Amino acid sequence: MTSILQARALTKAFHGNVAVDAVDFDLHAGEVHALLGENGAGKSTFSKLLAGVYPPEGGEILYLGKPLQADGPAEMLRRGIAMVYQETSLVPSMTVAQNLFLGHEKAFNRLRGITIAAQQFLQSLNFTVDPTALVSSLGAAKRQMVEIARAVRLNAKVIIFDEPTATLTPEERRHFFSLINRLRSRGVAIIFITHALEEALQMSDRITVMRDGKRVLTENAGDLTQGRIVQAMVGRELETEFSPRSETRPAGKRVLSVEDVSMGTLVRNTSFSVFAGQVTGLFGLVGSGRTETAKIIAGVFKRDFLRGGAIAYEGRPVRYATPGPAVADGIVYVTEDRKLEGFFENMSIAENLYAGLLAAGLNRFPFVSIAEMKSLAEVWTDKLAIRSIGGEARVVELSGGNQQKVVIGKALIQKPRLIIFDEPTRGVDVGAVAEIHALIQRLADEGLAVVVISSYLPEILALSDRILVARQGRVVEEFSPTDASSEDIMYAAVH
Amino acid sequence: MPSNRPLLRIFTQETIVLLMAVVLFAGFAVALDGFTAPANLLNIVRSVSVLGILAAGMGIVVIGRGIDLSMVSIMVVTVAIQLQLLQAGWSLWSATAIVAVITVGLGLMNGFMVAYAGVSALFATLASSAFVFGFVRSQILTQDVIYIPETAGSLLWLGKARLFDLPLDVIVFLAVVLIALVLLRWSRPGRFLYLMGDNFQAARTMGIPVRPLIVASFVASAVLAWLAGIASAVSLQSMNTRLVNSALLYDVVLVVVIGGIGLSGGKGGMRNVVVGALLIGILLNGMTILNLPNIHQNLIKALILLGAIILDGQLNPRDEQTSQQGDI
Repeated sequence: MTSILQARALTKAFHGNVAVDAVDFDLHAGEVHALLGENGAGKSTFSKLLAGVYPPEGGEILYLGKPLQADGPAEMLRRGIAMVYQETSLVPSMTVAQNLFLGHEKAFNRLRGITIAAQQFLQSLNFTVDPTALVSSLGAAKRQMVEIARAVRLNAKVIIFDEPTATLTPEERRHFFSLINRLRSRGVAIIFITHALEEALQMSDRITVMRDGKRVLTENAGDLTQGRIVQAMVGRELETEFSPRSETRPAGKRVLSVEDVSMGTLVRNTSFSVFAGQVTGLFGLVGSGRTETAKIIAGVFKRDFLRGGAIAYEGRPVRYATPGPAVADGIVYVTEDRKLEGFFENMSIAENLYAGLLAAGLNRFPFVSIAEMKSLAEVWTDKLAIRSIGGEARVVELSGGNQQKVVIGKALIQKPRLIIFDEPTRGVDVGAVAEIHALIQRLADEGLAVVVISSYLPEILALSDRILVARQGRVVEEFSPTDASSEDIMYAAVH
Repeated sequence: MPSNRPLLRIFTQETIVLLMAVVLFAGFAVALDGFTAPANLLNIVRSVSVLGILAAGMGIVVIGRGIDLSMVSIMVVTVAIQLQLLQAGWSLWSATAIVAVITVGLGLMNGFMVAYAGVSALFATLASSAFVFGFVRSQILTQDVIYIPETAGSLLWLGKARLFDLPLDVIVFLAVVLIALVLLRWSRPGRFLYLMGDNFQAARTMGIPVRPLIVASFVASAVLAWLAGIASAVSLQSMNTRLVNSALLYDVVLVVVIGGIGLSGGKGGMRNVVVGALLIGILLNGMTILNLPNIHQNLIKALILLGAIILDGQLNPRDEQTSQQGDI
């Protein structure tokens, strides 16, 4: 087998965090190569390095045996390396034909001319797409076809797909796979990133697994089993920072029951319960609908009006149109993206904390009281050990850990009875991680119903009294942290 | 970060603009005869007051990360209808009551379009401005300038009334600023408005009723527009509907931006409105005494606005996140 594309010790870091760590990689001509790994394992960054989206910081890329200078995706595309993203890069308001010839129009461009050329070209690929259709009217699979056709038209010898099947229906997925087979028979080498193990085993010739920015395994798909792949994906030393739990708290009163809840295609008929005095861990990969489910419970999103299922909170059915009444009832959601929807960046710590009190209507006076704000800030910066240079610092100037503590403080001030932490330690320094974990345990000890959403398995294992696993928009399995292995849980999440 | 350096912290846009106003005032006082005469000083304050009331309303909306381009239209239309009703023989109270309802209705319309129909504030108010004025001018009003009728003696009297030697429109401006200042600083909805302007998504997630708040801010700006219209009508004894086609709206935005209420929301307050209005008032007055033609006045105002916006960008650098969410 000849290699068409090779990476030698390819390295890339963002702000000092190594995302891709000295990866060696070989892509054979005419093969389909699946790239697997957990969220944050470095798959996307690695493939973007190959496609020239990012310049590498170390190592080199060999293309057809010669070193390749990465100078932007357009130049790479001209040389024959194309990347197809999840969000397609087509122009929705133009026809398929116009999109195919985008950037390669002649000075006098006749619509009829390119439509005929596009028709002939699509037929030669055996793609059934109408060249006069507007891209905005096409489904996800057909859009992907157009994108692939564009890559093939530019004579791409390597096509990289970033999670191509994540948004497809089963029907569209079958179309996509037959497309991959046709490309392979034309001699195109393909890399595709996926979370679905079955797909990878079924479709690809070889499989590479990445973990923590390193390549941990590359083998022929025929020699691999799902079990071995999962082990390679999870197989970090468990765990320097956290220890898994030895005993769990018993379930208290049932605080929340979710039955058959659906929202579009993101959440599909999910059902589960949450109990007081316990930490319920919700594990799932990106796209498993865990954040969306949490936001439905907290009133940020609305579940489907028809056949949307039922949610009961403290024994009575609820359907919140906005987060306001949910907060008033004691349901508080702590966001995974604190900069986007967590804190008020131009305001001080005190103002942020006080905002929580005001929004829940728990302030003592009918008007804004600076004295109340100051004493509140004193109590909570002390309680949560928020460290800053002077209390007047704007939140945006704090470290990630202290920002997260402000966001958590703001939520706790609202006196929740059910609190949902979405990725509570994302972008948080190690010291603060331990403090936040201790705080979460304390809240459960105090009798709150606590939900922790995380895609970091060791965190889930260290915190939870029960572990729920979400996949493709629903909770699919429940584990006890004392007798489930991390392989079992990961298997349920990717299966 | 500039705010960590104490020296730079003093030079906020507010203090720079205040400094500019003082320098400009001193310059005009030395260079222009009669600039510092008491009558002219009163003129400055008076010319500022209608602008200032409008800017207070605009400021409230902009703090919540919106913009209301229909203010001048609402100001003209509501007062014109009120005067027309008076001419038709309605009593002052009944005309005022019906116009109050219309004003609140217009504010609600703007607010609902932005908060519930999800139209961007820029386009919603631009369209409602053209629609409201076009409809009323073509269907209800018969002439461009509507005078206060002789029968409405109390309105005519208000125009001449003085409190502590100050004309009424100045008193109204001061009262509006004072009330808005107190509400923005010390009321819950006032604080919510800042939170919403700073980070809409965070405000919503933590349980603040953001959509009613948007509606309320547009109702407030509509009511203030009406008030500004009355202040202007009683001092001029009439309402000229051609005001809609003037640069007044532009001046209002100028006052708000130059005063330092960032268009990205969540910043500034009534102090900035006062400072901005003072600078513009002094500038307009000086240019009028100098007898500069209108085109040149507009040129100078445009240059100052551009300078203020560039300065704002330097002093309050927007990060990636804010620019993604859009500054309007």
